[in-house]
Amino acid sequence: MNVPIRMLGIATVILWVFLAAYIAVAANSFKDLNFGAGEPVFSASTNGELLFAMPLYIDNRGVCSLKDLNIITVFSDAEGAEISIASTTVPLVLHGQNTTVFHNVSLNMKDLLNKEEYLFDDGDLAASITAGLTFAELLPVEISKNFTYPWGAPFYGFTLEQASFRLINATHGSINVPVSFENHAAFNITGNMRIELCGSDDSVLGVAQAVFDVPQQSVYAGDLKFIVPLDSASPTALRGGYFNVYFSTSLFEYGPLVIPYG
Amino acid sequence: MVEEKKKPQNKVKDIAFKVVRASVTAILMYVLYLLVAALLAPVFELVPGLAETIEAFIVVYIVLMILGDLTRGTIFQHFFNVARALFLIAYLLVSMGEGVVSMSYENFNLTINLTMFYAFAVVLSLLGLATTIMKAISYLNERAEIASGFHQTLG
Repeated sequence: MNVPIRMLGIATVILWVFLAAYIAVAANSFKDLNFGAGEPVFSASTNGELLFAMPLYIDNRGVCSLKDLNIITVFSDAEGAEISIASTTVPLVLHGQNTTVFHNVSLNMKDLLNKEEYLFDDGDLAASITAGLTFAELLPVEISKNFTYPWGAPFYGFTLEQASFRLINATHGSINVPVSFENHAAFNITGNMRIELCGSDDSVLGVAQAVFDVPQQSVYAGDLKFIVPLDSASPTALRGGYFNVYFSTSLFEYGPLVIPYG
Repeated sequence: MVEEKKKPQNKVKDIAFKVVRASVTAILMYVLYLLVAALLAPVFELVPGLAETIEAFIVVYIVLMILGDLTRGTIFQHFFNVARALFLIAYLLVSMGEGVVSMSYENFNLTINLTMFYAFAVVLSLLGLATTIMKAISYLNERAEIASGFHQTLG
């Protein structure tokens, strides 16, 4: 009976040594693991989505390989509502391997820019990135980080400045309205804006359009010219009213933005 | 009864041998811990307080081991060995919780699921407990055999 018991004891000790060695190797291997993220590359798709590809660098200098690496990014608005979710899976990162993975995230501009706050004001989008993986064959590991992504408004500081009136002829006058905004977004915006000049009685007095092509981080300044008929109602209508502004771009449609005047 | 017949010189020699053996085993165990601790240094950096907890565990474990070695050849050796095995199981169960460890690492939240590792460790601890119980049974069996042989000789 003594020999089997002794053998059992020796086997237990050997298995303990294996377990300790496994944990030691896994811990040292984890220490030699490096993650990094590069600058995201933005592009706009034709179906109204803003795509950004975030390069993720994985340098596995340890002796253990990474399996089933699954990266999930969730963007949410200030109220916590989910805007976008994206996931990228890497089946295997072998030991000693240096890999770059492009994590593609798409933001639906039609949904996002339906809210004025994202169209005209800079802010932050809440984002969380979670990477789940199986490390050293047996250890499921999850790495997560919450961060805020700075959101630049495409029509930041949109203003219609003081209108100037000029008489064209006996029947028509011209109203000139300077318009300006800054494109703080991470993408260029190309499209047109249509502005209706409405009187206080809700009648449309004139319509003007402007085409814009504003690169990111650039200022747009232009003039909108309304030709208005000089009938009996015009003088009172021109004293007060509002503008209806409609934006149309390849990424989104928005309007009307109501700006009172007078 | 056999021990009662031993000469006092032999008894002193026996105790001295047990003390030396217990000291050598304890020193070897601590050296082994230091070697493993050096390898596990990255884990200790990740989990604050882990090194202190493990050190406290090692101290209790070595004390029980020394007591087991000092009482070698008696039933108390097996009591201490069972206590040591139970202490190991209890320590694992208390320290592991749900088997999921969460910590902060370079501005990231890191969650490691150690359920597999803990399960394996608990199985090995149970195997250790079973071994010590079997050793205790074997010891009692031997004692019973010696006692019956002694009675037969007397008879």
